[in-house]
Amino acid sequence: MTFRNSLWLIPMILPGAVHADAMADAQALIATHTEIPVFVPPGEPFDARSCMADKSVFSIPVSMTIPFAVALEDGMARAAAEVGFEYTVWETQGGMDSYIQGVDHAVTQGYDLIDLAGGINPVWIGPQLLQAKESGAVITTTHLYDETQEQADFVDASARVPFSSVGEILAAWAYVETEGAPNVLIIGSDDVLPTGPFVESIQDQLSTYCPECEQQYLNVPLAEWGTRIQSGVQSALLANPDINYILPIYDSMSQFVTPALRIAGVEVPIASFNGTPFVLDMVREGTVKMDIGESLGWAGYAAVDAQMRQLCGLEVPEDLGIPLLIFDSANVETAGIPANFDDGYGDAHIAGYRALWMLD
Amino acid sequence: MTAQTTIASSAFLQRNWAKDAERFALLGAWAILIAIFAFAVPDTFFTWRTFSSMFGSQAVLVVLSLAILVPLTAGDFDLSAANVLVFSAMLVAVTNVQLGFPIGISIVLAIAVGAFIGAINAAFILYFRIHSLIITLGVGTFLQGLTLWMSQSQTISGISMGLVEMVVINRLFGIPLAFYYGLALALVMWWVLEYTIAGRKLLFVGRGREVARLNGVKVDRVRMLSLVASSTLAAIAGVLYAGMTGSADPNSGTTLLLPAFAAAFLGATTLYPGRFNPLGTLLSVYFLITGITGLTMLGADAFVQSLFYGGALVVAVSLSQLVRGRQPQSFG
Repeated sequence: MTFRNSLWLIPMILPGAVHADAMADAQALIATHTEIPVFVPPGEPFDARSCMADKSVFSIPVSMTIPFAVALEDGMARAAAEVGFEYTVWETQGGMDSYIQGVDHAVTQGYDLIDLAGGINPVWIGPQLLQAKESGAVITTTHLYDETQEQADFVDASARVPFSSVGEILAAWAYVETEGAPNVLIIGSDDVLPTGPFVESIQDQLSTYCPECEQQYLNVPLAEWGTRIQSGVQSALLANPDINYILPIYDSMSQFVTPALRIAGVEVPIASFNGTPFVLDMVREGTVKMDIGESLGWAGYAAVDAQMRQLCGLEVPEDLGIPLLIFDSANVETAGIPANFDDGYGDAHIAGYRALWMLD
Repeated sequence: MTAQTTIASSAFLQRNWAKDAERFALLGAWAILIAIFAFAVPDTFFTWRTFSSMFGSQAVLVVLSLAILVPLTAGDFDLSAANVLVFSAMLVAVTNVQLGFPIGISIVLAIAVGAFIGAINAAFILYFRIHSLIITLGVGTFLQGLTLWMSQSQTISGISMGLVEMVVINRLFGIPLAFYYGLALALVMWWVLEYTIAGRKLLFVGRGREVARLNGVKVDRVRMLSLVASSTLAAIAGVLYAGMTGSADPNSGTTLLLPAFAAAFLGATTLYPGRFNPLGTLLSVYFLITGITGLTMLGADAFVQSLFYGGALVVAVSLSQLVRGRQPQSFG
């Protein structure tokens, strides 16, 4: 037996040492996401203004009634204004008919790039996008795919989100907070595209830290959050009173988890992802323990960077490269009172992208 | 006793037996469902904690179902009820959290606005003689727009804990107070419909407007009051919704509309078959949540819950029809 082949014996001989390593790893991962992020250039600098002088971008958000999409589009519009190219947002309230209409409008108006932002799966309007592509438009997606997912064939580039990395942070948080004994309820929506790799990364990371620890997954379709999360969480807590952490993977789910806890008469901490303002307010009030935030202003700049690189024939980065910041009681007030989508992350991205695009 | 009277009385007994079976079928089905889950997951399902949890969690749906039941009894549909619920919850959140109103004033304001919306529904339906489906659909969509505008599409959290305590935190016999609000409302509505002139008039109008009118019932007035009552109760459901979550969001409450109609129609197959009735509606809500809770405890996938929800409605209404010899039903 070689040394390498005998490594599997270590956990059996030294379980305490393995636990300590896992704890140290988890704490280290959390520590890297508690500092105000610094800007890391996602690629080589390029002269964005001259490259984009005659280019135009048409962005179709999932729905302008969703605050997240509005904030993301605001960030993208601000970045486009800095560079100075034509950038149009399709003011949709969502719905397939409206997306199709948006694509048709972009084609007839001769836009160079059509971007689907904030969660529209391009497969939903595949035929229309194929037609747009045939007419010469570039197709991109923003904030849809996880970095591990393949984009649809007819999509040219995607500004991906590191959902898998978020999953690892959530798992690390639950592991550390429960002192190495997590018994976790994960809540997700399988009908939302990145949910699969997101949930898998939480489950895998928890199993790595602690193979014997319990975890349970509750799938609630997006349209049924208002009616099914509460009853699902109540049932899960009744069936397993030892659950000691709840991880709703999208933070807007939290508002339906808290009544379930109140009705069940238990206090189980909640940690989640998105940095949605009202959930950050819940962190400040103590209802939610932790929320991983992503600056949507930063995401907007990163998305525009990816779009410009695609139009300028440069290599597009693998993911948006936006930093993930942990908000808990220690720093949540930096997100504003009441919280908003952009505060608390610093503004390193503005100067960083300006330099990257050679605007100064 | 002649042979003829014997046959007649046996047919009468048979009819009564069938009628009673129909009346209590859902109650029996509920008992069977509880027995199945108690057998399948005895340690977790068959506990007081599970039942208190189920009872406490459905108050919003109960009140919304009872709200739409009033105009349904009079033969009108109120599709705006869920939007009134969301609007009212958001009004409580905006006035209490953002404008700093005391929670009591926010609640009164939300309920008063609810009643006003009911009056608007009634005015359009009765003055212009337009079907209630169309007007309430339009008013509901209009309210959705108002809610999005008022909230700027944001979820607002931080509603006064006083309301949250009065809805889910304070308990009686281990069950959150919200349950008793729904129960009390169902009992009051049952009493009104069974034992008051106003309630009987509502039933007459639902059974046949022209006949009611010829009998001296002021049909338009009854319909107007039923629509105002519906919106007022939907606004109360909105207040409970805000108290349940401690927050208000501009979208999710609208998904309660179809479950509310499902509960009302399922309720019309039990206790007083063929008639929308508050106690049947209450029973239906808890029958459905029992199924959902048990299935979740058994680890059933999300789609199984939808199969149960939809399947239970169709099967119950169909069985009820079989018992009554497949005669066409006019609910009301």
